[in-house]
Amino acid sequence: MTALADLAHPRQDYSYAFLDASAKRELRRRILKAVAIPGYQVPYASRELPIARGWGTGGLQASLALVGPESVVKVIDQGADDSVNAANLRRFITRMSGAATTTDAARASILQSRHRIPEERLGAYQTLVLQVPDPEPLRGVQSDISKAHEMHADSDYGQLWLLLYEQLVRFRQYVQGASYPALVNGRYVISPSPIPRWDNPKLHQTPSLTILAAGREKRLYTVPPYTNVIPLEFSDVPFQVEDQRGWVCRTTGAVNKFMNELPQSDGSAMYELSDSGYAEKLKNDLPTAPTYYDENGGFYHDGYLKPPVILP
Amino acid sequence: MYVAAKGGEDAIQHAEALYHALNGTVTPELVHQILDHMPYLVDRVMGEGSLYAPELAALALAQTGGDLYEAVLLLRAYRSTQPRIAYATAITAADLLTVRRISAAFKDIPGGQVLGPTLDYSHRILDLDALDGIAPTPTAPAAADQPAPRSYPAVADWLRGQGLMPPAQPDPTDPADLPDVTTDAVLFPAPRAHRLQALARSETGGTLALGYASMRGYGLVHPTVNELRLGYAEVGMTHPLTGEPFSAGRARLSFGEVVNSGGSGDKRGFALGFTATLGWNEVKLIAGSTLDLEMSASDPHPAHTEEFVMYHTEPVESSGFCIHFKLPHYVTFASNLDAVRRVASLIYGESESVSVGTHNNGSSADTASAAGTHNNASAVHDASAVSVEAS
Repeated sequence: MTALADLAHPRQDYSYAFLDASAKRELRRRILKAVAIPGYQVPYASRELPIARGWGTGGLQASLALVGPESVVKVIDQGADDSVNAANLRRFITRMSGAATTTDAARASILQSRHRIPEERLGAYQTLVLQVPDPEPLRGVQSDISKAHEMHADSDYGQLWLLLYEQLVRFRQYVQGASYPALVNGRYVISPSPIPRWDNPKLHQTPSLTILAAGREKRLYTVPPYTNVIPLEFSDVPFQVEDQRGWVCRTTGAVNKFMNELPQSDGSAMYELSDSGYAEKLKNDLPTAPTYYDENGGFYHDGYLKPPVILP
Repeated sequence: MYVAAKGGEDAIQHAEALYHALNGTVTPELVHQILDHMPYLVDRVMGEGSLYAPELAALALAQTGGDLYEAVLLLRAYRSTQPRIAYATAITAADLLTVRRISAAFKDIPGGQVLGPTLDYSHRILDLDALDGIAPTPTAPAAADQPAPRSYPAVADWLRGQGLMPPAQPDPTDPADLPDVTTDAVLFPAPRAHRLQALARSETGGTLALGYASMRGYGLVHPTVNELRLGYAEVGMTHPLTGEPFSAGRARLSFGEVVNSGGSGDKRGFALGFTATLGWNEVKLIAGSTLDLEMSASDPHPAHTEEFVMYHTEPVESSGFCIHFKLPHYVTFASNLDAVRRVASLIYGESESVSVGTHNNGSSADTASAAGTHNNASAVHDASAVSVEAS
């Protein structure tokens, strides 16, 4: 007699790169749409993954939809390759795809990152996948997603400008920390994900593709190659990156790159490069790719960053 | 060091090993003990995991030491890649093999009130004798005089027959074409299918918190439980080759309905709120059906906003985001520190702060001209030059 088990297909392993074909197809279509409309938040279904929601599942879905056996993957968290969550995500991507991994930003074809963009300039055919907790730059002024959607449609960003204006009135400067909003291709305002302001300019006119994906919030958007990304700023008070002048990396001696501030027991602080892959190269005297900021803090697009103006 | 300047990979493997070592070995016996003795816990994991697989749900509980959120995540992550082989035929209330059905709206209902298995009217006293190995002697359930009917009519149908509720509109949509909250991009206002699916897999505690807020007085109405049912549903399939209908098995299922006469505004009849879920979970049914009734009210309370309810009762998303704050945030914190230090120096004049803070008295014109003498690409460096000149 035929047993029920004989009729059922054998237990299957997971699909290549974990996601099933229909999920991958959806993600790839949504990514293409997002590339076609720079900065526009494309809704997608967002599948559950075997890591906790809010721990990079959006970025992970984008990476899994892109990854192939020939890919070289770099995963960083706060700039560090060996941060525990980055290690976990990297382990998962390679376990499911067989892709090679690297800590070298210049070698990676897919760079998944939480909260940082590497210091070395990314080139064409490199994809930066940023993990996004909150894709909606209007959330602070409009919590209703349907209404925020209409505001985007109308380019109605007045309330964001008002927010900046209020900051100037109260503090004589912009006081937003990370996630500083930026206008993409002159059309949509995005949240660049919680990258420090230091990294905002790196999105501008870069040959690489940037995909920003929020898993919990189920939205993804992109900055396509060679696209204008301008942080919101009034013409007379320019946007400012973090002020870390005089901070010297304790292991490499590097300056004018984004640093981690390490509190010391005597109340003072030491500094260390946040970008661990770049630090590794400096330590081992390996050749580095050109960086976004030079030794003097000058940004590679001349004139993009303007001198600070402090209101009286 | 959890940021792990070195050895993150090694650290997480050891941390996981320690977790499992503290929780003990997972054995098939343990899994089946959970399955046999904790059906409500298994139900909750299946309901929120939106996968009817009692053995896998019990395994998830065993594997996570009973951490509900982790267990639900395990089941969801497993579920999310499973292929959809087929869609079961839709069932109605009358199709449910009912073990418990009650209505608070009427003293008696067609088919009768069926208490079924419940602790509702019991004394909640810890049975301490069980600790001493003295097995409690439960009274064996007595058999009824006559067998229970095969099916019970829906209480809502009686209200409909009385003209107190609009007639049910059968949805002719092929189940395969229904909106699916797990594979669609969710947009608002959401189709009712999305809303009911979201409630079916919502987190019980979150659903209760919002539902309770509504019931306690923030709500628009006092919900009346029209019908609450626990039972088993046949998973009706059509054989792909012969076209013969057959049952692929039975699943524990429950649904709840609340009614009110105030929500629609015209008092001409009753509006119905509905929630169904895999497994038996009465708290969620009552809270969820109350929310279903009210979450589209044009009222600013969070419990009356569909988007708010659906987003904030999602177990995997809410718990995942909550625990993500354990991840390092030192880059964003550094960015905030920078902003706070700038305010401290510029507004409150704290001199020990960053150098730009010493530039209190410089007018913006001075700043611009001073900065202008340098390479305009060196924006970061310029500020330092400015502050030197000003001090």
